[in-house]
Amino acid sequence: MLKNKKKARAYKEFLLVLPFILLVAIFSYYPLYGWIYAFFDYKPPKPLSQSAFVGFKWFTNIVSNKIKTQEILRVLKNTFAMSGLSLLFSWFPMMFAVFLNEIKCVPFKKFVQTVTTLPNFISWVLVYSIAYSIFSSTGAVNSVLQSMGLADKPIMFLQSSEHIWFKMWLWLTWKNAGWAAIMYLAAISGIDEQLTEAARVDGASRWQVIWHITVPSLLPTYFVLLMISLANFLSNGMEQYYVFSNSFNKSSIEVLDLYVYNMAIGAGGYSISTAVSMLKSVVSVILLFTTNTISKAVRGEGFI
Amino acid sequence: MKKLLSLILALVMVVSLAACTVAPADEGTKPAETEAEGEKEAEPAAEGEEEPAATGELMTIEIYDAAANFHGVQSGWFAKVIKDRFNLELNIIAPQVAGDAIYQTRTAEGALGDIVILDKGDFLDCLENGLIKDISDKLPECENIMKFKVQIDNYNQNLGKGEGVYYGIPAQMTDTSPTTLSSENVYSSIWLRWDQYKAIGMPDIADLDGLLDVLAKIHEEFPTNDAGDPAYPFTLWPDWDGGDNMIGIANIVQLTTWYGDKIKESAILKPDNTFTKIYDRTAGYYKIAKFLNDAYQRGLVDPDSGTQDWNTVMNKISNGQVNFLWYSWQQGFWNSMDRKEDGTAFAVIPVEDMLYYADADNYYGSTRVWGIGSQVEGEKYDRIMEFLDWYASPEGLSFEHNGIEGFTYVVNEDGTRTQINSNALMDNLEVPAEYGGGGYNDGSNQINQWLCEAICMNPETGEPYSVSEWKSYKEANMTEMKREWQEKYGAEDPVDWMEKNGKLLASPNVQVPLDTYSSELSVIRNNVNTQLCDYSWKLIFAADDDAFEALWDEMTEMLNGYDYEQLYEFDCANYQKEVDAKEAAKAAAE
Repeated sequence: MLKNKKKARAYKEFLLVLPFILLVAIFSYYPLYGWIYAFFDYKPPKPLSQSAFVGFKWFTNIVSNKIKTQEILRVLKNTFAMSGLSLLFSWFPMMFAVFLNEIKCVPFKKFVQTVTTLPNFISWVLVYSIAYSIFSSTGAVNSVLQSMGLADKPIMFLQSSEHIWFKMWLWLTWKNAGWAAIMYLAAISGIDEQLTEAARVDGASRWQVIWHITVPSLLPTYFVLLMISLANFLSNGMEQYYVFSNSFNKSSIEVLDLYVYNMAIGAGGYSISTAVSMLKSVVSVILLFTTNTISKAVRGEGFI
Repeated sequence: MKKLLSLILALVMVVSLAACTVAPADEGTKPAETEAEGEKEAEPAAEGEEEPAATGELMTIEIYDAAANFHGVQSGWFAKVIKDRFNLELNIIAPQVAGDAIYQTRTAEGALGDIVILDKGDFLDCLENGLIKDISDKLPECENIMKFKVQIDNYNQNLGKGEGVYYGIPAQMTDTSPTTLSSENVYSSIWLRWDQYKAIGMPDIADLDGLLDVLAKIHEEFPTNDAGDPAYPFTLWPDWDGGDNMIGIANIVQLTTWYGDKIKESAILKPDNTFTKIYDRTAGYYKIAKFLNDAYQRGLVDPDSGTQDWNTVMNKISNGQVNFLWYSWQQGFWNSMDRKEDGTAFAVIPVEDMLYYADADNYYGSTRVWGIGSQVEGEKYDRIMEFLDWYASPEGLSFEHNGIEGFTYVVNEDGTRTQINSNALMDNLEVPAEYGGGGYNDGSNQINQWLCEAICMNPETGEPYSVSEWKSYKEANMTEMKREWQEKYGAEDPVDWMEKNGKLLASPNVQVPLDTYSSELSVIRNNVNTQLCDYSWKLIFAADDDAFEALWDEMTEMLNGYDYEQLYEFDCANYQKEVDAKEAAKAAAE
């Protein structure tokens, strides 16, 4: 009887989980079926069923000579560099939230928070159009510089590839910092008031309160978010780089996702770009196991 | 128990996974096609609902159009012309606007468009994969189109589908001959503002360096237009790069024809009919890239060149912000009758050392082909064929090439025509409501591709459709400026000057079936093209000669890394067939 009851409960609980299993299966596992394209000579008007099976041809093609290998490494370098930069500065939204929290004038605080959160809801295409109207050859900055006589011909900000990784990080931060800070603001409001009050009574300065109470209380949140961004290390999105890329800066702005897109949609090489994106999965798995090992060594527990 | 539960869960997960991955494979390993079949089935049903027996109800025709610069439903006066006659609406799908991906997704779906206008290579691919309809039953009934039977037969027989089987209609055919050069201008040459050229003392130009000196002087004298906006001799645009069966950036590949070179995909065809590699330092691509870089180093290139699109450039030309043109049709955005009369129009300025490559009339049609999508059936098919035949009729061609009677031209007593409102296109003149209203340019034929070239004879007037060939036009164009030009160069028109001075390299029009790229070659082609275009832009904007040379070396290495050699061999072998046919046509004409 008891056993049956337990069984019934097990079924019931399984039914509760079922929708999520289905979701994962449909959206995470079913698309893997598309990997099949990497093993065929696929060219659009001809359906896959009539395309020739070529085995690992496209995989060897990716690294078939020095130049092609260099290209893949270049793209990986860009991806790692720009993801690495965001990772390196991932404390920025946290500190932003901490300082925002210190503002005592509520209307001003609300104003700053709204203004910094809004860009998150603008699409990258619009961000680029803003960038264009500010930094193009006839944009605001060039007009001011030229009318003040500081430049005799327009400076091509958007065409230069100098410091492009950092510039991309700046745009990303401008767009995301306010939004990312929301999580920390919520965490700050969850800190026990008594801690701060006790510290104040003991004569702690504002800095000391921040440093010894606020920041340590935020660290768990910070680490969770850090893990999430680590998992997305290779998928740093292509929209931003797509809108900002042009012939002049492409070699330093092309990230893995954009490279795959350019190969497939731009150049019609579906098979080869599927092969490249499979490479991405391989690198991701390596990254995952590496961080897990590090985590085990440092914190004593892994996440898989 | 816990263990059992997790085991069950794991099992279910594996089963559901397997179901998800295996099931579609069983259905035929091609979701693309099953989808397409679904669509095919759905379409006639939907048609049946929307289009009951009553003919002439409003129908939307999708035109997949490789030539269009406009994506969406045709509007304005030309839409009214079509709607009044056929009750059709044209929905234009333009890969030049929407991106080439649209070709890939639509072909994968199995329906490209109701009417398709494709480059010949793509047309062959689509035909092989059953996307093009056999129009043998209806085409011979199309009187107007069948005036070009020789050309159409020639093209379709080369497809190898049998005698009297029709699939495609070549675009822009002419009724002249494969060796005639009807135009008075070659496609690309040097066009300068006559008043500006006069203002700097009309120096003779010996070569490209001389040309740069002249342009530098013009830029010095006229750094802005009359309104004070900055003007530049060179305004380039990247959105046409890699098109028209030529790799590399459009603004370089067209200019190589100044020295008799013609780019055929990855190969350069030299005046002596041999091929050379695109990165050959002695050939045209290098010469023109260096020329544009020199221009940049001298501050003559519009800084927006690398990032603006053609439509922006078009506006700049109309706005007087461009002092140098190189396509013969570009003058249409500036040269109005008024400007020709007061001498501020663009005119061709010969350069001493140039040898202009010119294609003869497109007797057999251009590089594009018209066809009908294989999914088109029934009434829609009838109406499309009716529309196409009209499109090649004198009435249709008059609308396409001459515009609206009473608005852009009037008919004289003797039946010939006279142009009026010559600035209708460039100033986007307001069209009277009776013709459909709106701006003339906005409402112009957005298909941007014809079945018959403007040089064809109009049986109703006894003159070609091309406005510049009209007697009335020639009389009106005997302006002071034209007389000065003729006096200075001792010739009727630019082509006359080139012929007299042995500066014209005319290439006869031929119809040769070319092989299409395999999937591997097309990946190589696109990679090579992307690299070449990216490097070309960097080359133009290189700070100095050393940087230019270093970039060129880097580019050569990069192209070779992307298997350029393989592509080049294929292209040479492929286009050798065309070269041979041209030689034969030349010999036959002599």
